[in-house]
Amino acid sequence: MWKSSLLLCLILQTGETSVQELLARIEALEKRVQELEAERRPPVPPAPAPPAPASLNAGSHNGSDPQQAALPAAAALPQYPSLELRGFSDIDFSGSDQKGTHSGFSEGQFTLHLVSALAPKVNFFSEITLSARRDAGLGGAPGFNPEVERAIVRFDQSDAFKVSFGRYHTPINWWNTTYHHGQWLQTTVSRPEMVQFGGQFIPIHFVGAQIEGTMPARGLNLNYNAGVGNSRGPILSRPADFGPTNNTKAWLANLSARPSHARGLQFGGSVYQDRIDLSPGQNFREWITSGHLVWTRETPEVIAEIANVTHRDLAGLLPVSHSQAFYIQSAYRLPVANRVWKPYYRYEYIHIPKSDVPFRTVPSLSGSTIGIRYDLTEFAALKFEYRNFRRPPDSTRVNSAFIQTSFTF
Amino acid sequence: MRRFIRFVIMMGLLTACCGLLLEAQGTSGGDIAVVVNADVPIGNLSFDDVRRLVLGDKQYWPGNLRVTLLLRAPVARERDVVLRKVCDMNEAQFRQYWIGKVFRAETASGPKIVYSNDMALSLLSSLSGSMAFMDSGAVPRNLKVLQIDGKLPGQQGYPLR
Repeated sequence: MWKSSLLLCLILQTGETSVQELLARIEALEKRVQELEAERRPPVPPAPAPPAPASLNAGSHNGSDPQQAALPAAAALPQYPSLELRGFSDIDFSGSDQKGTHSGFSEGQFTLHLVSALAPKVNFFSEITLSARRDAGLGGAPGFNPEVERAIVRFDQSDAFKVSFGRYHTPINWWNTTYHHGQWLQTTVSRPEMVQFGGQFIPIHFVGAQIEGTMPARGLNLNYNAGVGNSRGPILSRPADFGPTNNTKAWLANLSARPSHARGLQFGGSVYQDRIDLSPGQNFREWITSGHLVWTRETPEVIAEIANVTHRDLAGLLPVSHSQAFYIQSAYRLPVANRVWKPYYRYEYIHIPKSDVPFRTVPSLSGSTIGIRYDLTEFAALKFEYRNFRRPPDSTRVNSAFIQTSFTF
Repeated sequence: MRRFIRFVIMMGLLTACCGLLLEAQGTSGGDIAVVVNADVPIGNLSFDDVRRLVLGDKQYWPGNLRVTLLLRAPVARERDVVLRKVCDMNEAQFRQYWIGKVFRAETASGPKIVYSNDMALSLLSSLSGSMAFMDSGAVPRNLKVLQIDGKLPGQQGYPLR
C-alpha cells in the first residue's frame, strides 16, 4: 500500500511539474512571438484605427474574435462595421400516441444570429431562421421557410438609456427574450406552450421602438423596457411587419430586478396593451399582465412564469374574458460525472374560457414534461424528454417522447 | 522491515511536501490588479461593480465612456482568478454565459481576449475606456490601478488574489 502511495505521489508530482514546464514554455513562446511581430510591424498607434471595410468573423465561444489569436495588439483595435455570426440548430426524433402522427426524425430550426457594431455606441442585431415545413418549397412542396425573427438597431446613450428600433421578441415573457430560437440555450427540448412559436397566447414578436436600460439601484440591479409598436396583425400569431393594421399602437412596459446579494435570482413583471381587429365589427382591447420568478443557478434552476390576457369587446356586446397561463420548471445540474447531466420537470397550464373570442382557436392545456439533458461538449447537448398533455374538450391524454441534439456553432 | 516502512513513510512525506511546494509556486503570485486606461474617470470600484463589468451588465463608465474589457486567454492565472472569484464560474460556464449574453442582444461582443500582459498593456494605452486584470507585480508604475472597495492590491482584504 505504501509503495502504491509513493508511486502515486511521484506521478502527481511529475504531472504537476510537467504542467508547470508547459506553462512556462507557452509563456516564453508567446513572448517570442510578440517580439518577432514587433520587429516586423510598426508600433501601435495611439489613436483608434481608421474605419475599415466590413469583416465577417465567426464569433468565438470565449466571447472574442478568434482571429485575434495570431494578431498583434494593433489589429485588436475596434473596426466598424464588424460583423459576427453564430449559429444554432437541432435535430429531433419524436414519437407520440396521438392519432394521425408518425414517429421519426425532423430537422429543427437552423438559426443564424448576426451582430454588427456600427460604431462604439451603435449596434445591429439580427436573428434569421430556416424552418422545415411541408409547404415552404416551390409550388407548396416541402422545403425551408426563411424568417427574419429579429432585426434591431440600437443606439446606446449609457447603461441606463438605450433606444432601439426593429422587430423584437416581445419582452413581456422571460423565456421569449432569454432563449429566443437557440434550442441549445434552453434546458428542455421545447418551449412552454404559452410562448410556443406560432402560438397566439403571447405576442411572440413586436415591431416598433423600445427604450431600455439598467440601473444599479443599491444592488437591486433594475432593468426596464418600454416600447411602442404595431398592433398584432389579423393573424394573431404574427406581428404586423408590413405595416399597421389600425391607427392604435400597441405598447408595453417591463420592469425586472436581479439583486446582487442573491445572484441568479431574477423577478419582474410586464404589461402589454393592444387592439385586435379580427374582422369588421370584431374589435377587442387586449390587456396582458405577466410576471416571472427565475433562479438561474443550475443547482437548482427554477423558472416560473404566469400571464393573464384580458379581451374586452370594443362594441360592448360580448362579456369581458380572462385567459390565464402559467408554467413552472425545475432542473438540477447533478454534481457527478463532470456535471453533464441535468434532469428537469415542467408543469404547464393554459385556461381559455369559451367566451374568449380572439382565442377561440387556442386550446386549453394541462401537462407535464420530464426529461434529462446531457451536455455532450461545451457546445452540444443531448436531451431526452417525455410529455403527457391533456387538452380539452375531450381531455384525452397524449403521451409523447422526444430525443433532441441541439448545438451552437 | 520497520526501517523499510520508516523509509517509505519519510519518502512519502517528502514527496507530498515537494508536491505542495510546487503547487504553491504554481498558484501563488501577486494580487490581481484592475488596471484601466488613463481616461477612466474613477479610482474605486465596488466588488459588485467588478462583477457587473466582467459579466457585461455594466457597459459604460461614469460619463458614458464605453467599457472595453480585456481578458487573458484561458489557462492564464489572471483569468482563472477572475472567473473563480468574481464570476463564480468555470471556463465552460463563462463561455456559455457570453454566448447567451450576445444572443440576447444585451451586448454586441464579449471581452477582448489578450494573449499576454504586453498585449494587454498595449491595448490599455490605446483603447479609451479599456480595463484589464493583471498580476500586480507586472503592472508598470505609470498605469492606473483601481481600488476595489477602497483597497489596493497587496492590502489586507483585497478580494482578487
